[in-house]
Amino acid sequence: MSEDQEILHGLVQELRRGTIIIGVLSQLSEPQYGYSLVAILQEKGIGVEAGTLYPLLRRLEKQGLLESQWDTNEARPRKYYIISKMGKEIYSQLYREWKDMMTSLEGLVDAKEEKRDP
Amino acid sequence: MTDLINRYVYAVTQKLPVPQRADIEMELRGLIEDMLEDRGAPGDAASREDVEQVLLKLGPPNEMAARYRVKERYLIGPGLIDGYWSVLKIVIYSLVIFLSISYIIEYFSSTDSSGETLLEYFVTILSVSIQGFAWVTGIFAFIEYLGARTDKAKDWEPSHLEPVPDSATRIKPIEPMIGFLASILFFVVFTFSIDWIGVIRFSGEQSFNIPVFDKEAFAIYLPFIWAVTAIGILKDTMKLILRKWTSQLVAVHLIFNVVFTIAAIVILSDPAIMNPTFMNQLVDANLLTTGEESYNTVNRIWNQSREGLIYIIIIINLMDTVSVGMKWFRHKDGPRVLSK
Repeated sequence: MSEDQEILHGLVQELRRGTIIIGVLSQLSEPQYGYSLVAILQEKGIGVEAGTLYPLLRRLEKQGLLESQWDTNEARPRKYYIISKMGKEIYSQLYREWKDMMTSLEGLVDAKEEKRDP
Repeated sequence: MTDLINRYVYAVTQKLPVPQRADIEMELRGLIEDMLEDRGAPGDAASREDVEQVLLKLGPPNEMAARYRVKERYLIGPGLIDGYWSVLKIVIYSLVIFLSISYIIEYFSSTDSSGETLLEYFVTILSVSIQGFAWVTGIFAFIEYLGARTDKAKDWEPSHLEPVPDSATRIKPIEPMIGFLASILFFVVFTFSIDWIGVIRFSGEQSFNIPVFDKEAFAIYLPFIWAVTAIGILKDTMKLILRKWTSQLVAVHLIFNVVFTIAAIVILSDPAIMNPTFMNQLVDANLLTTGEESYNTVNRIWNQSREGLIYIIIIINLMDTVSVGMKWFRHKDGPRVLSK
């Protein structure tokens, strides 16, 4: 990877970090375990490594946005996560914040483009 | 192939806090099996290559564990690590240099020139360096702990900002450097070369060395010397890091002065630490003759020397305390009103 590609990659990673949380919260109104959530997000175009997602789920649970339960009835024990009441509230606010950000950013970028090619 | 998985899971979980380990272990194992199944090689059917590919995808255990840890914890954090290395270098280098000088003097003046002393020298250098390393590391871990505690203060306000030190309150780096050298020299001389504090002449047949102190009697007071050295290094380390007088540094400096004075009083109050045959040795060396005026003068000074030294040390420490106190008040007297 060339140097500017590497810089771009790093910046994209930074941008994605916050959006992954929105993606995760959006999918957890039904209980999911880590790997099934990776598959769902992948399918919808949000590629996220399991090694990133598992610690993230744990952190969100610690913050009280998610609740978890071990299911030991299946062949292998799995930890299922579901969004909490508080998580739902935060999710809707977070989503709104993100929308606002998008709108503002688009405004900024569009204004610049118009100036350049009138 | 479960052996490789076991190793990976172990490598990750041993870097995590104990209460979380069992849960994360179960989760990781489940994840690895899910990933293997995804590759069409569930459980026992997995080849070594399958397992290796999955583990490669998960990434190095260090990074995996780092993602699980919420907050990084340090014994000595990034803010202090540069200072740590420079203090460690000064302390170890000066220990080696002063010990070498002490050994060289010992070697050339001693009649017993067997190889034993050389071995002894290396053993001493090694054990003293390890001690120095432990002291410096302990001191920095302590400062890191203090810093980590104060960083948590949430009720911070801009008015709490310390004034920028002016040239009168700023500590120049040379000051703690000299402090380190003095501490180490003090430590080496009293611990290893106490014989050489005395009246010495090197000249062939007429060479003599009349020590002031009695080595055996002084040995029981060595822990005091070590305590003074340790607090001295703590004091100078804080000077090197803070570069200005703060209330914490003033407190440590005062503790140093108090401990130093107490150690001096305790040690010098014991008559046994002085060389009992000092005066006789001076006469034997033909430096003095019994009954003469000069003998009586020297004898008088010798008999009052312990008491005199106590007074001198107390006066020096008092003067130092006053001068540090004045610097501190000038420093505090910035934009802030004196509240204490």
